[in-house]
Amino acid sequence: MKLLNKITLWFIGVVFLVTPISMYIGLRNIKKAMDQAEINRMIRANDRAASQIQTGDTTNHFTQGRPIQITPFEGPLPEDKVCIEETFKYNEENGNKECLIRVTSYYEIAGYNYQVSSFDYVTKSGEILAGMLHSIFWKMLLIIISLLLCARILSRYIFTPLRHTMKAIKNFNLKGKTTLELRETNTTEFKELNLFLKKMTDKAIEDYASVKEFSENASHELQTPLAILRSKMELLTETRIDESQARLIEEMYKAIDKLSRINRSLLFLTKLENHEFETSQLLDFRNSAREVLGMYEERTSLKKLKITTRLDEKILLKIHPVLAEILLSNLFSNAIRHNYEEGNIEMLLTPDHLVMRNTGTPPKIPTEELFMRFKKGDQCNSGIGLGLSIVKQICQLHSFTVTYSYNEGWHALVIHFNNKAGSKASDIEMRNIKDPVPA
Amino acid sequence: MKVLIVEDNKELSESVHDFLVSERFVCEHADSIDSAREKLLFYSYDCVLLDIMLPDGSGLELLRFMQHEKIMSGVLIVSAKDALDDKIAGLDSGGDDYITKPFHLPELHARLRAVYRRKKTEGASLLTCNEITLNINTMEIFVRDSKLDTTPKEFDLLHYFIVNKNRVLSRQSIATHLWGDHTDNLPNFDFIYQHIKNLRKKINALGGADYIETIYGLGYKFNTTTT
Repeated sequence: MKLLNKITLWFIGVVFLVTPISMYIGLRNIKKAMDQAEINRMIRANDRAASQIQTGDTTNHFTQGRPIQITPFEGPLPEDKVCIEETFKYNEENGNKECLIRVTSYYEIAGYNYQVSSFDYVTKSGEILAGMLHSIFWKMLLIIISLLLCARILSRYIFTPLRHTMKAIKNFNLKGKTTLELRETNTTEFKELNLFLKKMTDKAIEDYASVKEFSENASHELQTPLAILRSKMELLTETRIDESQARLIEEMYKAIDKLSRINRSLLFLTKLENHEFETSQLLDFRNSAREVLGMYEERTSLKKLKITTRLDEKILLKIHPVLAEILLSNLFSNAIRHNYEEGNIEMLLTPDHLVMRNTGTPPKIPTEELFMRFKKGDQCNSGIGLGLSIVKQICQLHSFTVTYSYNEGWHALVIHFNNKAGSKASDIEMRNIKDPVPA
Repeated sequence: MKVLIVEDNKELSESVHDFLVSERFVCEHADSIDSAREKLLFYSYDCVLLDIMLPDGSGLELLRFMQHEKIMSGVLIVSAKDALDDKIAGLDSGGDDYITKPFHLPELHARLRAVYRRKKTEGASLLTCNEITLNINTMEIFVRDSKLDTTPKEFDLLHYFIVNKNRVLSRQSIATHLWGDHTDNLPNFDFIYQHIKNLRKKINALGGADYIETIYGLGYKFNTTTT
């Protein structure tokens, strides 16, 4: 729900809540004021009637036609000279209940006590309420309409800076190295927000750059010592060594090898994250698949693996050839490595997805975790545990979805291309089709 | 063959120097672009081993300098970065080949020889070792003058062995030479054994001697001294 609608709704809610209360107060006050006016009038009328009696004017000219009663009064005067009573009485004339106010005043005139009492029907609160309700309806309608209109029109003006900020954040890319540009605003909240965002993104860019630089430098700097180690080791093997020394050297060799592979893979992952493999060209993925199949031919035959492939049609994907090769060869070498002797590998490539299936032992950890860096299904395996995270990274980069599942002795890796670029493109001019490598 | 090693790291250049000297190369060493420039102007080299990252600038500068001065030495670029852009930039500015740190010394040696061979196109395409002759241009192997039928991989393997004869070649180094970076995911090196077994069989069938010696725990050696 939009912030604006939310505020409007709350506002309307508050209006609805407050209106009955204010109505009640208003009703009370109006009723009170009206009654008071009537009472005052009647008190005055009583006074005048009393003064008439005092002057001895016995003509009924004042009392005539007025609801006023003058009765002599026995006994002492009450303390309250004026007594007001309000009653509801059934009026026979119109068949309604009416509100009657009676004001009784006591006077002592020429030694006699008089009781002057006048009464009148006043408007009932119910009638006032009816009138108020009618007006309230229009009032509410007006409030709501003007609220909605104002909110729409004003928000366009008030929320402009926020919309600009949001657009800027949406387009902000940490890897773009450009700082966030935000518009000036005079709204305090937005000013604060912009300031905060600016600070945050600047810091993020700075941190990202330094982390990136560190990992790049670290990997590069490691290459030279590794080269020294390896070369010295190679020179060492040229010297006179016995069998036990040879065994030690071999172990060291293996360790150096692994180290340099990890280093290279990490470097490659950094490069992937830096988007150093962007391309605008379409690549026939089927050709890459055939090349990789050819490349691994001898290794599959060594393990006596049975390979079934279905590479239907030309599949054009926007992917760098190097990445396509790495993706496929990582998948394929995994399928070979984690397979039995005389096992099976199935590769199915359609415009929509790539499926790599291979026989193998059940995974020891949840399959999704295998995509994490340095997670290996088998810790004593000589792999470095970066193959699948590279696969995942490549997939993320091209917005492919990759899933790994295990079912009844078969490992299956499925990559959905989400390809909208037109997989069955018939335009051969786009790319020279290479001679297919026999699979 | 005379080689100039342009590398700022002393230990590494020493290793390379020692290795190449034992192959009867004449090696000189420069640790900066300035000193390399000087040496290139005064002496001539068959090959330059060029590190891209040097204390006083990029190795690519030296490549441009060599092009400008029309110095015709072959250049093998050594870099810690195996970024594709660097590779392309290096080869575009006149490098003949590119090798990434950390490299195997026999690999470096083989590549240096290849660079040298390509530079001197007049002949030199025949590599002979006793009764075995390799024609590098046509990828043919002759044993006692009869043609040996090999796969491209076997040719590469034998070529690598003969270039680095009498040296221990580790399985890793052989794998890297034959399959490049794709050895990354290899669990073992059985397939090297398989290739070597086939190669031995084929050479024996044509009456060649068994030169390939297994060095326990380390790898293989193409031994021409004992037979």
